[in-house]
Amino acid sequence: MLRFIARRFLEAIPVLFIIATATFFMMRLAPGGPFDAEKQVSAEVRARMEAHYGLDKPLFQQYLLQMKHLLQGNLGPSFKYPGRTVNEIIADAFPVSLELGCEALAVALVFGLAAGMVAALKQNSAWDHVPMALAMIGLCVPTFVMGPLLISAFALHLDWFNAAGWFFPRDRVLPALTLGAYYAAYVARLCRGGFLEVLNQDYIRTARAKGAGGARVLFKHALRGGILPVVSFLGPAVAGLLTGSFVVETIFGVPGLGRYFVTAAFNRDYFMVMGSVLFYACFVVVLNLVADVALVWLNPKLRFE
Amino acid sequence: MMNESRVARKVYLTLLTVCVVALLAGGCGKRETLAAIGDRTQELRLNNEGEPASLDPAVEIGNIEHSVILALFEGLITADPKDLSPRPGVAESWKISPDGKVYTFHLRKNGRWSNGEPVTARDFVQTYHRMLTPSLGAQYSYMLYPVKNAEAFNLGKITDFSRVGFKALDDYTLELTLHSPAPYLLSMMIHDSWFPVPIAVIKKHGALDDRTNPWTKPENFVGNGPFVLKEWRMNSHILVERSPTYWDATNVRLNKIYFDPTESLDTAERMFRSGQLHSDPQAPPSKVAFYRKYKPNLINVYPLLGTYFYKIHVTQPALKDKRVRQALAMTIDRHAMTETIMRAGEEPAYFLTPPNTAGYTCQTKVREDAAEARQLLAEAGYPDGKNFPTVEVLFNTGVQYHKAIAEALQEMWKKNLNINIVLHNEEWKVYLDSLRRMDYSIGRASWVGDYVDPSTFLDMFTTENGNNETGWSNAEYDRLVHLASNTGDRAARYDAYQKAEAILLDEMPIIPIYFYTRPRLIQPSVRGWYPNVIDQYDFKSIYLVPEDN
Amino acid sequence: MIDSTPMAMVEPAETGGGSSFWQDAWHRLWQNKLAIFGLAVLGALAALCFVAFLWPNITGYSYEQQNLALGPAPPNRLHWLGTDPLGRDLLARLLYGGGISLTVGLCATAVSLTIGVIYGAIAGFAGGKLDMVLMRTVDILYALPFAIFVILLMVFFGQNFILLFVAIGAVEWLTMARIVRGQVMAVKRQEFVEAAHALGLKRGRIIFRHIVPNLLGPIIVYATLTVPEVILLESFLSFLGLGVQPPHSSWGVLIKEGAEVMEEYPWLLMYPGAVMALTLFSLNFLGDGLRDALDVRGSKD
Repeated sequence: MLRFIARRFLEAIPVLFIIATATFFMMRLAPGGPFDAEKQVSAEVRARMEAHYGLDKPLFQQYLLQMKHLLQGNLGPSFKYPGRTVNEIIADAFPVSLELGCEALAVALVFGLAAGMVAALKQNSAWDHVPMALAMIGLCVPTFVMGPLLISAFALHLDWFNAAGWFFPRDRVLPALTLGAYYAAYVARLCRGGFLEVLNQDYIRTARAKGAGGARVLFKHALRGGILPVVSFLGPAVAGLLTGSFVVETIFGVPGLGRYFVTAAFNRDYFMVMGSVLFYACFVVVLNLVADVALVWLNPKLRFE
Repeated sequence: MMNESRVARKVYLTLLTVCVVALLAGGCGKRETLAAIGDRTQELRLNNEGEPASLDPAVEIGNIEHSVILALFEGLITADPKDLSPRPGVAESWKISPDGKVYTFHLRKNGRWSNGEPVTARDFVQTYHRMLTPSLGAQYSYMLYPVKNAEAFNLGKITDFSRVGFKALDDYTLELTLHSPAPYLLSMMIHDSWFPVPIAVIKKHGALDDRTNPWTKPENFVGNGPFVLKEWRMNSHILVERSPTYWDATNVRLNKIYFDPTESLDTAERMFRSGQLHSDPQAPPSKVAFYRKYKPNLINVYPLLGTYFYKIHVTQPALKDKRVRQALAMTIDRHAMTETIMRAGEEPAYFLTPPNTAGYTCQTKVREDAAEARQLLAEAGYPDGKNFPTVEVLFNTGVQYHKAIAEALQEMWKKNLNINIVLHNEEWKVYLDSLRRMDYSIGRASWVGDYVDPSTFLDMFTTENGNNETGWSNAEYDRLVHLASNTGDRAARYDAYQKAEAILLDEMPIIPIYFYTRPRLIQPSVRGWYPNVIDQYDFKSIYLVPEDN
Repeated sequence: MIDSTPMAMVEPAETGGGSSFWQDAWHRLWQNKLAIFGLAVLGALAALCFVAFLWPNITGYSYEQQNLALGPAPPNRLHWLGTDPLGRDLLARLLYGGGISLTVGLCATAVSLTIGVIYGAIAGFAGGKLDMVLMRTVDILYALPFAIFVILLMVFFGQNFILLFVAIGAVEWLTMARIVRGQVMAVKRQEFVEAAHALGLKRGRIIFRHIVPNLLGPIIVYATLTVPEVILLESFLSFLGLGVQPPHSSWGVLIKEGAEVMEEYPWLLMYPGAVMALTLFSLNFLGDGLRDALDVRGSKD
């Protein structure tokens, strides 16, 4: 197992390198630069600014310089926010996204697993159809519709919450629900499917024949197999959850990292894009690894050579 | 199996309990709104339309940065909140020489930086030196160009700053020498590019000409305005507190100002509605009609010094003939656009410079006459739109109504002139790049004035101006505009501008559409605030009165 | 993401009157009311949109015809679903947009399906170094910034729908490849494959007679579930201002425009939202039904 993990980390290095290179050239390829503005600055000022950030050097030289900085862990300055470095911005924004992501994940797991398990246990009854119908809604309503609907109902009409912001504990509720709804729905369906398959397996029938009661059957034998598809799905999905969602952060005014993935690209904030992409990539690599390890642990049959 | 039902019920019951506990612990439920708390504690909560790029007046000054900088710094003169006339700021009084080229400012002796140091004339000279230093790359250095040799120094043509027309005659006397009379200088000076910065403090945290110098972080910050920077959390909030060292602190009524950086118009409006903000400067277009009808005491719509127009790339073959451009401009129903698409009380624009800009109103107007337009088009060689190539109209994504207006244009031109245009939508930076490289045919544009004078609009279309972007060049227009920039006599200036704008509207390298307004949402508890065309706050006069309800 | 444990494909005994696997599956599907409902709804919608595409003025208005004087109006006799702020007929835009969204959904799914299945099958079957390289490439592509990618595509290829399929297909195939690979790897290790191998069956026969049928189920199901993801992704692109450009409409565009004015003109969100939800529901029901029907284990009850 350890060798497997070590090997995956080694494989991650060329992966990150290629991502960095691809991102670098993609960004430079896009028309428009960080200093284009509606009130265009004079050519001299533009030249000055580009020189300051080293953008006047030949492209390949800039690339090498960037790679060198990356190896040193220096993600560079932000163009859009002079006076702030990318490291600073990520360090400031990530904990917020992390918190929101964890809360959304908790919502997704708690609601999803509960609903899925019960639905599988009482297949084709009301306990099955109603939650699954609700899950359908969670899957089919985009976040930029669900968010304003929730705000309109609970914050503006019922006045239970603030419409936006991230200061008080209660500010977490609506964003976590909005972000978690989609994942909760997915988890519920996957969980139900996985549980159903396991419940129909021979070894479950054996346990039941042996007289094991409902709850014990569920938790002892079915859990391992039933959670498999959920783990498979969550691996990469959690990376997205934890690094933040642009839509939810914009609608609810959450000062997280998610919005930078989009705004930095729109602003041509080159170093910010690189920094956030690599940050996200590291997450994806680590979480994929965790998911694969969990899969192997849950189902020894999938053990790799 | 009965067992399973029990399990099911237990699971959901646990779930419900967990939820209720979590919600109660979080503290949901009715409580005093943040705005009401602010009313009591004199904390003004404003939406600032975005996260400031920087709080250094020299580095970057857009609308967003401007509002916060106004709270933290004070210039030589300030603006009266109602009519924007110049009022004493750091300068107690000033004298203008008879030839209009020398301005002498007498600074008050009790002006202080927030670290207790006095604000002196030398501070200003050093500030302008830094502002004009080429390596800093200050975006608004051109605002200082009326001063003698400022432009030359900024472009690196001369390197001795003592040749530039800024002089500290003594600690509290500042003398400005211009290269030619500039009657609009005082209205330019209320802009933040003229505000002083604490040079000694900046030097402590890095190089003077380094834009990334962290001196504006809350722990390093020093300013001379009515408020000081207390907290600055990116994309979360900026909090400023009243400054005890400010010379006029006794007349400042607010204790704190809270700037909210929400960019999304819809989110900001929701925050206003739920009582989190005292004011939201830009209500979403779809909600303006609603507020004006049902909650008129919460909204104030006033004109803004800005124009929404389309630029025409005049070297394109189909658009070369000015008759074609005139025809295009004459077949737009501007009223329909402002009434049905914009709906925020915008005025249709029949010329470029907003009416009554420092007393100047353009006398030439674009006529809306479809019949004559068709004739012009025919004369240009495209009777009934025949053989007119399909032209592309460029606009940027992001704001809903750009698209709506472009779509309306498409239809109007099709209906009236029988020509086809294709809509081309580009993402913001790509769009800016396309305009800059003149890779467009007809492109959406807007311009908000930096200061209240027609030159801020009309300077744009001189041949050498970087914001022209149309390829249009007219020697007579250039001459008139330059003449106006260098004359002291207001009547002569405005006469030149009238002639220049008449040329502009005859040649039509642009198509004016409407003049901007500000549909501002504002709580009645906010007093001492007055609308003005550059939407400038005067934080000294604003105060809050709790609503009795 | 479906992870049905595959089982041996037992050939039916050569006695007369037996039914094949596919016949059984179809029979099961037919009995699933929800799935058939879903199929019917989809069919009806697709037909409606197709008709609207061929006869654009069927509602009496085209999708781009403006009526600035009218402005946004609630449903009335002339405009059955009301109009948008530019006075355009919502029903016309809904049908036209439906055609675009469904086409984008189907084409992007087809693209992602083709690439994903081939890629994933190769990776899963080959294993070892090739598998590692292929999967790491998937990781790389997964991490690249989507917004910039779409912007670049828009710049280089203009704004037609081909680009939209490409962009979305390029993202969706990654997950498809992962799933297919997982399935292939699981099947590969089943005893019946080893048995077939031991019996001396050629690789090709193993793949096509034994592995592929076990793949088809999850693939079909996932494909049906990818279409809604694609439609949602298209609406996200519209939210960002990328994606379908004016004056065309799509469900994503309509929903985004509707969400912005949902308090003033609720019909602009309600109707497109309801129709899109109905479609996505139908696709999901169909997907579920297909999965239940194709569940190999149940085939020999």
